[in-house]
Order: sequence, then structure tokens, then C-alpha cells
Amino acid sequence: MNRIRAFALRNWKETLRDPLSYIFCLGFPLVMLGIMTVVNQSIPANAGLTIFRIDRLSAGVAVFGHSFIMLFAALSVANDRAGAFLVRMYTTPMKPSEFICGYILPLWLMAMAQAAPIWAASLAIGAATGVSLPIGGLLLAWATLIPSAMLFIGIGVLFGTLFSEKAAPGMCSILISLGSFLGAIWFDAESTGGVLLTVSKALPFFHCTKSARSAVALALSFEDYGRPLLMVIGWMALILALAVLAFRRRMRADLA
Amino acid sequence: MNTYAVEAKNLTKRYGEKTAVDGLNLRVAEGELFALLGVNGAGKTTTIRMLSCLSKPDGGEALICGRSCQRESAAVKEIIGLSPQETAVAGNLTVRENLTFMAQVHGLRGRDADARVEEMLDLFRMEKTANARAKTLSGGWQRKLSIAMALISRPRVLFLDEPTLGLDVLARRELWRAIEALKGKITILLTTHYMEEAEHLADRIAVMVDGRLSALGTLAELEQATGQSGLENVFVAIAEGGAKDE
Repeated sequence: MNRIRAFALRNWKETLRDPLSYIFCLGFPLVMLGIMTVVNQSIPANAGLTIFRIDRLSAGVAVFGHSFIMLFAALSVANDRAGAFLVRMYTTPMKPSEFICGYILPLWLMAMAQAAPIWAASLAIGAATGVSLPIGGLLLAWATLIPSAMLFIGIGVLFGTLFSEKAAPGMCSILISLGSFLGAIWFDAESTGGVLLTVSKALPFFHCTKSARSAVALALSFEDYGRPLLMVIGWMALILALAVLAFRRRMRADLA
Repeated sequence: MNTYAVEAKNLTKRYGEKTAVDGLNLRVAEGELFALLGVNGAGKTTTIRMLSCLSKPDGGEALICGRSCQRESAAVKEIIGLSPQETAVAGNLTVRENLTFMAQVHGLRGRDADARVEEMLDLFRMEKTANARAKTLSGGWQRKLSIAMALISRPRVLFLDEPTLGLDVLARRELWRAIEALKGKITILLTTHYMEEAEHLADRIAVMVDGRLSALGTLAELEQATGQSGLENVFVAIAEGGAKDE
């Protein structure tokens, strides 16, 4: 436990002292929240488009923020692999599971903390635009985002393990774009339907957004909340298992 | 039975068709400072990797203080320290935080960890840079920090892979002083390209050529064996002799 704490603290400090982490993990989601609110204000009321209304937008932006946590997870692992830092660490008594926990734990805490300013800004925007957001819904959404955060961090660790420090950020950028699109953050996939909805439902990002949105709205039916949350938990378990497996294999290969 | 700090028994490592280390036999006594010389690709770093549990040999055995690197790697990792060829420090952490981190990874806590950190800061004269982030330090200071991180667990055997590579003369001399201060207290195995470094620091010197141990002894013994004067001439004679043997 002592070793996990030490390694997690090192990763926590390394990430928090990188100014880019604030720009991407905090600044960018908040800017998107502001821009999309302006877009929402420009949409005529009779268009019936509610995707950018703050009570629906906030959860989507929180999930969007997780995709940048994924980027930093990938960078942490890939950069450590690229330099001699992991080589040094391999000569210490640290075990593979301790490395994995040490990477995941600080980023998970950051992902959870990231929701606070998004919720605070959402409440402020809601007050300014006359849309009420239930505090209970936001708190439930916070808890609902736990598996989503772990899923994105798992993907980041997986990418950081499989790809080089140059390739991993590129792969993450692709997934950030795809994830926000197929996660139905910026459009209403269920109204669109067709192949797009089928593909979106086949991937985890749609379920991350839907479960968090339903939590904010306190729409807790199995169809709206239970099923997408279970899907996210299933994907999270699968991706984390793959990340652990890949990291163990990489470590074995490094030590061959 | 005599137990050596470092012992390689017929140690062999192959990468595909190439044999990087070929049947290496080596014994380093406790407290000795042992230098491993060789041209690029001679097998020095591969040897260090096998001796520090970073690479599995394809043949033979590596023992640290009588413990097998293959079968007892967890026990070996408790008693070794490694400063890799590339400076392996956490760039966004301060010097003190880097040292505390390594102390904690090795199981030290609270005051014990703090005391060990202060000891390293004092030993390497790093008090003034203790609160500077590692990435802002010069190459020489980063290398000193890297060695201090390897020493924080008070290892019985310290591996220094090219510790002064790329440093200017002053930084190199400063680092030599730090390494000299450790002489006799722990066993040190260092690899280097710099003849004067091995000449200045090492008790005994081994020369590797094409993965094989071509010569081993004190500088005086090597000079006598080759009929040459000075380590550079000795090294050239051995390296060229090794090449001619091929």
C-alpha cells in the first residue's frame, strides 16, 4: 500500500504541475460549456432542440472532460516507458499491480474533482438561463460518472502501454473526437436513429453520456439509467482487464 | 564458501542471431569498485541489465550477494540500486520529492524517510537545489540526483551505467568525488567509455569485447599483461586483440 501511495502521489504531482492538464482537463470543458450555451441561446424555441440546454449539456461535458483525463493517463504511461524512469522502477520491489493502481488512482481522483467546477458552472448557467438543475441529480450523476472515469482512464493506460509517447496522444485525439461524436454529447443520437444510433450503442461512450444525463434529470428507469449504467460498468471491467493484461505483458517483455 | 557481492556464472544473452553477452564469468568482492569497459555494443549494458534483474539470461546465472537474480529477484531488488544510462528522474518533482518518493517505494516512512533524504542531500551537496524541480537542473545535477535516488535504500550493490556520459569536465569531476565518497562502503559496478574515469575510480577493471570478457585485473596487472602503459593504451591493445581473435 505504501508503494502504491508513493507512486500515485508522484503521478498526481507530475500531472498537476503540467499546465496543459488545467487547459485540457478544466479549461476546455468549461469553454465548451460556455460555447454550447451560447449556441443553445441562438436556437429558436420552436425548433424543439434541447441537447444544448444546460440540464442536458452538463453531463455530456463531464463525460467529454473524462476523455482528456484519458489523454493524460496515456501520456503518463507512455512517457515513463519512453524514458528510463520505468527501467529504474523495475529494479525496485514494485509489482505490476502496484504500477497500475499508482497510475489509475490519482487520475480517477482528478476525474472526480473535474466534475465539481463543471457542476458549479452548470448551476450558474442554469440560474442565468432559467433552467433548474436538481442538486440531488448532480450528486447522483457524480457517483454515476465513477465507472465512466475508470473506463476512460483504462483506455488511456491501455494506449500508453501499447503505443509510443508520440503515437499515444494521436490515438487519444482520435478517440476524443470519436467519443464525443458517438457519445452523443453534441447531438441527439436517439432522435437521429439509424446506423449512427446502432454504432453509438455498440460503443461505451453513448452509455456514459446517457446514464449521466439521466442521473442529472433523476430519470431513473431501467431503460434510461439502469441499462446504460450497467453497460458502462461492463465496458469498464473489460477495458481495465485489458489494460492490466497489456501492462503486465509489456512489463514481462521489457524484462525478458 | 565465499559469497561475492556480484557473481556472473557463464552468463549469456542472445538477441536473435546476435550474442550480446557470451559466457561471462565475473566475481566482484564486497566493497569493491569495479569498472566494466568496452566499445559500443560490447555487452556492458546488457550485463548490467541481467545483474540488476532487468533482463533474463539465456544461459548461466547472475548472483547478487549469493542470491539468484532469476529465482530470487524480489530479494535481489531489496539490496540493489541502479542509476540507468539515461537520467531517470521525475521531472516535475523537486529534488527532495524525488528522493522521498524513492525512499517510500523502498518501504521507508515518515521520519526514517526524511532522515534518509537529508543524508542523500548532504552526501551529494544538494541542499541548495533541494526544492528545485528536477527538470530545471543541469545534466550533472540530474545525474547526481539519479545516483542519490539509487542509493536512498542503502543498497549493498550499486550499478552505475555510464554515470558521467555527456557531462562537462567539471560536472564529471564533481560526480567522481561523490562516487569516491562511497568507495569501500558499498559495492559499485560501473560501466564507462571514459578511460580516465575507470583509471581514477576503479579498484579493478574488466574489458568486454564482442560480449566476452577479454581482460580483468587492476590497472597495474593489465599494463603488465599487455605491455602497455596507461589504461587507454591497455584498452586499445585488448580491444584490437579481441577483434583480431574473431
